[in-house]
Amino acid sequence: MTQVTSRQRLSPRVRGLLCGTAALALLAGASLPALADETCQSPYMAKITGEEDYVYVWTLGVEGMGDGSDKLVTVDVRKGSPTFGKAIKSVSVGGRHEAHHGGFTDDRRQFWAAGLSDSKIFIFDVASDPAAPKLVKTIDDFVEKSGGAAGPHGAYALPGRMLIPSLSNKSKTGQAALVEYSNDGTYIATHWLPTDKDPKGAKIEKVADGYGYDARILPRKNVMLTSSFTGLENYMRPFGEMAKDAEAMKKFGQTMVLWDFHARQPKQVLHVPGVPLEVRWAWGPHNNYAFTTTALTSKIWLVYEDEGGAWKAKEVADIGEPGKGMIPVDISLSADDKTLFVDTFMDGTTRVYDVSDPHKPKQILEKKIGAQLNMVSQSWDGKRLYYTSSVLSNWDKTGADNEQFLKAYAWDGKELAPRFEIDFSAEKLGRPHMMAFGAAALYTQ
Amino acid sequence: MGGAGLAAGLVAIALASVPVAGAHEGHAPPPGAGVRSRYAFPLPAPGSYSLPPIKAAGDGRVLDEDGREQALRQLLLDRISVVAFIYTRCGDLCPAASLDMSQLQDLAAKDRRVSRRMRLVTISFDPEHDTPQTMRDYAAQFRSAAAAAPEWLFLTAPDRAALAPVLAAYNQAVDAKADPASAGGPLSHVFRAFLIDRAGQVRNIYSLDFFDPKLVLNDVRTLLLEDGAGARSRRRSSHTNPPASATSAR
Repeated sequence: MTQVTSRQRLSPRVRGLLCGTAALALLAGASLPALADETCQSPYMAKITGEEDYVYVWTLGVEGMGDGSDKLVTVDVRKGSPTFGKAIKSVSVGGRHEAHHGGFTDDRRQFWAAGLSDSKIFIFDVASDPAAPKLVKTIDDFVEKSGGAAGPHGAYALPGRMLIPSLSNKSKTGQAALVEYSNDGTYIATHWLPTDKDPKGAKIEKVADGYGYDARILPRKNVMLTSSFTGLENYMRPFGEMAKDAEAMKKFGQTMVLWDFHARQPKQVLHVPGVPLEVRWAWGPHNNYAFTTTALTSKIWLVYEDEGGAWKAKEVADIGEPGKGMIPVDISLSADDKTLFVDTFMDGTTRVYDVSDPHKPKQILEKKIGAQLNMVSQSWDGKRLYYTSSVLSNWDKTGADNEQFLKAYAWDGKELAPRFEIDFSAEKLGRPHMMAFGAAALYTQ
Repeated sequence: MGGAGLAAGLVAIALASVPVAGAHEGHAPPPGAGVRSRYAFPLPAPGSYSLPPIKAAGDGRVLDEDGREQALRQLLLDRISVVAFIYTRCGDLCPAASLDMSQLQDLAAKDRRVSRRMRLVTISFDPEHDTPQTMRDYAAQFRSAAAAAPEWLFLTAPDRAALAPVLAAYNQAVDAKADPASAGGPLSHVFRAFLIDRAGQVRNIYSLDFFDPKLVLNDVRTLLLEDGAGARSRRRSSHTNPPASATSAR
């Protein structure tokens, strides 16, 4: 293996040091798999290799429900705990900001949670007391500092930094950017997505729409992959109203961009029609591919490096019955790259695919979770899955179908067995969205 | 926490991952596959990309290999510095990082114009164990004595109190592992290295999987080109071409 070969080209002064068992394991281990917990998180982060203690849920406030504010909710998932399966803490940030996605810093000591409507970013200390995160800083000048980006979508750990993909800009269109901050919350840089007018050196397959959504990195290939959604003018509108507006429906993403990550240079704009959303790189050390799903066309797409070293995108499966418009939302790829969970919003269903051959996904389970469904997170061992219900405040279903829950399941490779569920409406918490795992033992002093 | 095993490793290098090898059993490596040999795109040429300032490099009291107390900031003056935080009892991340540093030193030695304008700095965050003598012994395992090689300092701290502001300034968290006899060493940390320009600004932060000597040397050369061009003003601007459409409807 080339990687090991590069490690073996040692100078004599180093070779002596690396004769020990640990060094041999180090050399051999260079191509072995990763240690990580929830499989959707940044590869740069400190990792939990055992079971999670807590699930943090970034929750959108609902007017008239509890304090009505967005909040970070801590759910106790410690086996044997008297409060197992209960929400044991919630930290309100004051007001509603369209709570959506977030992420830990690389040292996992902070959780950054973003608001899509007013572009605020809330930074929680999760290290001092992992059961009770504390709000320690609010970034409220994201638009100004970034040079006009708006709608911070998530927060993705880089070494000592956070990468914040935006969905929009100060004009509320879909022109989006990637914005970098240091871990202490200091603005560093903005990188706008390439467009037809300003391709920034990227090779355009068909069109460069400039839209943004997810941004994820495969470090060993020095490649970043971004996807595309829509701007503030669409995602804050009531879904039914927007869906009838033909002009509005034209303003959705149809591209994914491959970047030279180190240089932050867009290199290739792939054509992936139908709004490609979540990006999940495979974890295997030789698996040079990522999955995404397209919301408006209900398909699984594969972005992959072919045998000649060229990067391509192709659709590899329909999700549900073609043409039914299930709206796939969150996805989760198992640590062994063999199982892909795909949630669809409209029918509240999770579908599980055998993706051992990533070019030929095979559905192995279809299970209704609730009246509506969005996020799915799984443990690194693939044995525990957590689902939440909310997509966007103005897109969630109404009436009896507006179920707001977190549901936990055990997965044995064939079936999802219920473990517990929390009714976020009955608990007066709000609309649960992004989930992330916490563990007290990460912070042993 | 329910028998959980924890590690603060980084994914791509997966150095301590033997116990969970089963997670990827069956992944057959294709011919020529590797981490650093096949980036998706060739490394960009020095000077063809920007490295915006991230923060001011931190200061604090440190001890050199002779036990002399020095101000860290003073040691970082005049040259571009690559600073790595390690501890010598580390059994996984740190030896790999020090090996990368040694390869960086060897690579830089091939270009005298670069090597005399940069330095490498290794700082221990384990002052009780890593005395100046320990650091000197550790240095002997890695440091090149070649005349053309850039200087490489091995530093530790007088005590934990002196170390604390340095770690805080570089946002370097270090925790004791629950099992001090852990094979990887008694401390849990995320490996980070820092590229610091001659003005004392952090210009890049590396995890181990991006601590590729060729890549780091390109970054050093990028800063040298920047200095040479007198383009200090250029790095103040970190918005890469704000689009016209951000201020007007699409």
